[in-house]
Amino acid sequence: MTGTAASRATAAGGLRKLRTSDPVFFTALGMLTLLILASVAGRLIPGLNDGTSSVGGRFEAPSLAHPLGTDGLGRSLLARLLEGIGTTFMLSLAAVVCTAIIATALGIIAAYAGGWAREIVMRIGDILYAFPAILLALLIAASLGPGGTAALASIVLVTVPLMTRMVGAAAAQVVQRDFVTNARISGVAAPLIMVRHVLVNVAGTVIVQATYALSVAILVEGGLSFLGYGVQLPASSLGLLASEGNVYMLTAPWILIASGSTMVIAILAVNLLGDCLRDRLEPRKAVDLT
Amino acid sequence: MSLLELDSVTVRFGVGARAVVAMQDVSFAVDEGETLGLVGESGSGKSTAASVALGLRSPNSGEVLFEGEHLRRRRAAGRMQAVLQHPVWALNPRMTVAASIAEPLQVQTRGRKQVRDRVHEMLESVALDDDLATRRPHELSGGQRQRVAIARALITRPRFIVFDEAVSALDVSVQAQILQLLRRLQREHGFGALFITHDMAVVRYIADSICVMRSGEVVESATMEAFVADPQHPYSRTLLEEQ
Repeated sequence: MTGTAASRATAAGGLRKLRTSDPVFFTALGMLTLLILASVAGRLIPGLNDGTSSVGGRFEAPSLAHPLGTDGLGRSLLARLLEGIGTTFMLSLAAVVCTAIIATALGIIAAYAGGWAREIVMRIGDILYAFPAILLALLIAASLGPGGTAALASIVLVTVPLMTRMVGAAAAQVVQRDFVTNARISGVAAPLIMVRHVLVNVAGTVIVQATYALSVAILVEGGLSFLGYGVQLPASSLGLLASEGNVYMLTAPWILIASGSTMVIAILAVNLLGDCLRDRLEPRKAVDLT
Repeated sequence: MSLLELDSVTVRFGVGARAVVAMQDVSFAVDEGETLGLVGESGSGKSTAASVALGLRSPNSGEVLFEGEHLRRRRAAGRMQAVLQHPVWALNPRMTVAASIAEPLQVQTRGRKQVRDRVHEMLESVALDDDLATRRPHELSGGQRQRVAIARALITRPRFIVFDEAVSALDVSVQAQILQLLRRLQREHGFGALFITHDMAVVRYIADSICVMRSGEVVESATMEAFVADPQHPYSRTLLEEQ
C-alpha cells in the first residue's frame, strides 16, 4: 500500500514507536512538561506566589532566597516567571484550540464544497496571510483594547489562515478519494462524510499544524504583551516580563534573561515537537536538510 | 423499460472558449440483470459517463432516466452503487472492513443486529472470512480489498452498479477471480451493471452488450456477440485487433 493512507492508518503505531525511539521528541516533550509542571507548582507551593513570603528588596540579584532575583516592587522573579509561563501557555493553548476548531471546520467545508466556496475561503485566507503577523495582531489589539481577550483574538486571526490552507489542502486530497465518492453515492449525509471520512484522515495534519500554531501563539502573545497590548499588570506573562526586563536591562538584567530564555525554550520545544509529529504523521512533508 | 438510460447526454467542462466537451450526445441503456461494457481509451469520456450515470454530475444537455424517472441521486441512494477504480482508495483507511461494508445500509436502517447480520452475509457472499471484519484496509491484499468494495456495493441490494475500471489495478489471476465472482453475484442478485474498462478481454468476458466511446462520443453500440463477429467502426476493429 502506498501513499499517505498507509502511513496514516498506522499513525497510532508510529506515535507509539516515536515515544520510545526518538530522543528529540522525548527531549522536547520533557522540556514542555517541565515548564507546565513548574507553572502549576508555582501556584500550588505555599509562599511562592501568594505574596506572603516572596517579597524582598527592589532589583535584588539572584540569591538563595530569590533564585532568579526580584523585580522593581521586590517580588520574587521566580514566582512571577512561573505565573507568566502559566498565563502564556493558557492563553496560547486556548487560542490554538479556537484556531484548530475554526481552521479545521473551514478547511474541510471548503474542500468538500469545492468551487466558489473553496475559492472564497482560500482567498480570504490569502488576504489575511499577506499581512505581517505582528501588524495584524497589533491592529486587532488596538481595536479591541489591550488585554487577554485582544491577545487571544489576535493569535486566532494570525494562525487561522495558514492552518486553514494546510488543512484545506489535505482535505482536498481526501475528498477526491473513492471512499468519499462511494459514501456520497450511498446517500451518506454531507456532515457525516466530512467527519467520518475527511476529518479522521486529516487529523494528523491538524495535530502538526496546531503544534506550529502554538509556537506562533507564544511568540505573538510575547510580542503583544511586550508592546503593552496583551496581558496587563498586575498579571504576569512571558512577554510582559520581557517588556519589564527591557526597561531595567542595565539595572536588573536577570529579568530579561529569565523571561527571554524561557520563551526561547518554550518555542524551541514546541517546534521540535511539531517537527517530530510531522515526520511521523505527514512523512511526505519531512525534508532532510543535511 | 430500461433500468438506466442516458439520452443524448452532453457534458462540458469549463465555459466559453476554454470549454472541453467530455461527452457529446451520448446515449446508451442498461437493462435489469445485464451488463453493458463501456470501453474506450483514456480521456474518451468513460468515467464522466459513470459520474453522470451515478448522478454525481449533471449533464449540460440530455436526460438521465433511472427506473423510468429523471435521476435524482438522493432519491436513488441505496438502489445504485459503485465499485470504483483504486482498490487502495476504495475503503477508508481508518475504518474496519465491517464498518465500511455496513455504511450504505446504515443510511437506510439503524437496526444494529440487522446490519451486523447483513455484513456477515455479504462477507460470505464475496468469499471472505468473517475474521477479516475487524481488520483495516492496509491489512488486506488488493483482491481482498476489491471483494470488500463489492460486498459494500451489494449490501443494499442495489438494482444498478457501476464498475469503473474495477479490476484494472489487479493482477491477472486476481482479475479472473473477481470477474467470476461478479458473474455469480449478478446471477444471484440480478443487478444491472455498467462495466467501464479499457481492457477488451475483460469486457468480452463480463459484458452482454458493448458501447465504444472515443473523444466523448459513442462510435458503436452492439450486443457482445455481434460486436465480436462484425465490428462496424474502424476504431472498434482496432480495439479488437490490439487485444
